[in-house]
Amino acid sequence: MGEVVLACEGLKKRYGDLWVLKGIDFEIEKGQTKVIIGPSGSGKSTFLRLMGLLEPPTEGKIYFEGKDVYGSGLDLNMLRAKIGFVFQEPSLFRHLTALGNVKLGPKVVLKMKDDEAEKRAMEALKTVRLEEWAHHYPAQLSGGQQQRVGIARALAMDPDIILFDEPTASLDIELTWEVIDVMKDLAKRGVTMLVVTHELGFAKEVADEILFMDDGRIIESGPPEELLKNPKTPRAREFLRRLIGGV
Amino acid sequence: MFTLENFLFLLQGVPNTLAISFLSFALGFALGIPTAIVKQFSPYGLGHVADAYISVMRGIPVLVIMLLFHFGMAGIIPLFKSAFLSATFALGLRSGAFQSQIFRGAINAVGRQQMMAATSLGMSRWQAFRYVILPQAFIVALPGLGSEIALLIKDSSYAFVLGVLELTKYSDIVRKATRSFLYPYLIAAILYILITFPVANYLDRLGSRLKTKYGLR
Repeated sequence: MGEVVLACEGLKKRYGDLWVLKGIDFEIEKGQTKVIIGPSGSGKSTFLRLMGLLEPPTEGKIYFEGKDVYGSGLDLNMLRAKIGFVFQEPSLFRHLTALGNVKLGPKVVLKMKDDEAEKRAMEALKTVRLEEWAHHYPAQLSGGQQQRVGIARALAMDPDIILFDEPTASLDIELTWEVIDVMKDLAKRGVTMLVVTHELGFAKEVADEILFMDDGRIIESGPPEELLKNPKTPRAREFLRRLIGGV
Repeated sequence: MFTLENFLFLLQGVPNTLAISFLSFALGFALGIPTAIVKQFSPYGLGHVADAYISVMRGIPVLVIMLLFHFGMAGIIPLFKSAFLSATFALGLRSGAFQSQIFRGAINAVGRQQMMAATSLGMSRWQAFRYVILPQAFIVALPGLGSEIALLIKDSSYAFVLGVLELTKYSDIVRKATRSFLYPYLIAAILYILITFPVANYLDRLGSRLKTKYGLR
């Protein structure tokens, strides 16, 4: 058993009268990659934002490295710095170059010196194979390149885990591959990752576990070969049939 | 008869027109940014103070503010014994309220996604604002700021009522001296356009150019 990086217990989230998350228990260990799949509106993105400490839960607890995040007066900004987040929508800082985007966090949050931050940012850009594009602005990059810069931006903080919220959902198929390839590299290098995606090839190749979410709950989970081939719940079976069948 | 001499005399009003406009713009900028920030974050419930300031400035004609400062308050605030400073502060105070609205709109246009991305890196709200939101908001605000400068240049003509020797006052002096009723004001009108157009147009174009470069909407 490895060290648990991020976990939650009885996690619930309500917007107005609508319960989007209805009680989730979850944990992920250091070095693991877990993939969340499920129909839209099932609460995947909300779950991820809560785990990224970008929104507080309505009920339940979140634990980062064993510590109750909202219960023990911890500095949330410090914790967020250790939890990388890659968004579905393009969210690079538009007034900064790729390099500027990646080094801002190390500089402002980790208080690194400019040359130190730049060195680290260039390494992160190299990891996502974009060092030659360091001085381009987001508007000059393709959607896939932008997402890779987003990944580098998260990496440069040297986080303990990175959360990915459908990073390829808004991309064309060829651009999807270049992002997925980078993510596979990271998984194989032992980066702890929690990924919402419908790229089942990615899940099959690198996921330790797939979680199927529906209606605000994780209703089924298991290793990829098991869950993808023999889903136990009718909902998961139906969802996978449609996803693979394309209808 | 309106002569070249009259024209050159009239030109002497331009420096004061420029000085009032740009000083009041600077004052408005210095007031507008903090007001926008206070409205955004409302620290210690100060948002209501910002709201009140904006409402008051929107509700009073700037000429009345000038008269109030120069004739009504010079006894309390010695600064306002100067007609020039009364006019500049009146315009600057109003501009602060207007510019805060321009910045507010620009900050909202930058969008919540940028704030969320900055937050996810562990930045505090203030750091996110300082390093991510504000630099982009400046670019979005440029065309609005151009219009605001144009407005200030034109409204600096109210200072004429306080006796400040600016462009409108000079054209009035020439009108009285030459008994030419058309040309002094016509020349003044053209000079206002010549001052206003390049400044507002430059900020407009700079704004569009930077927005395209950075992919801002």
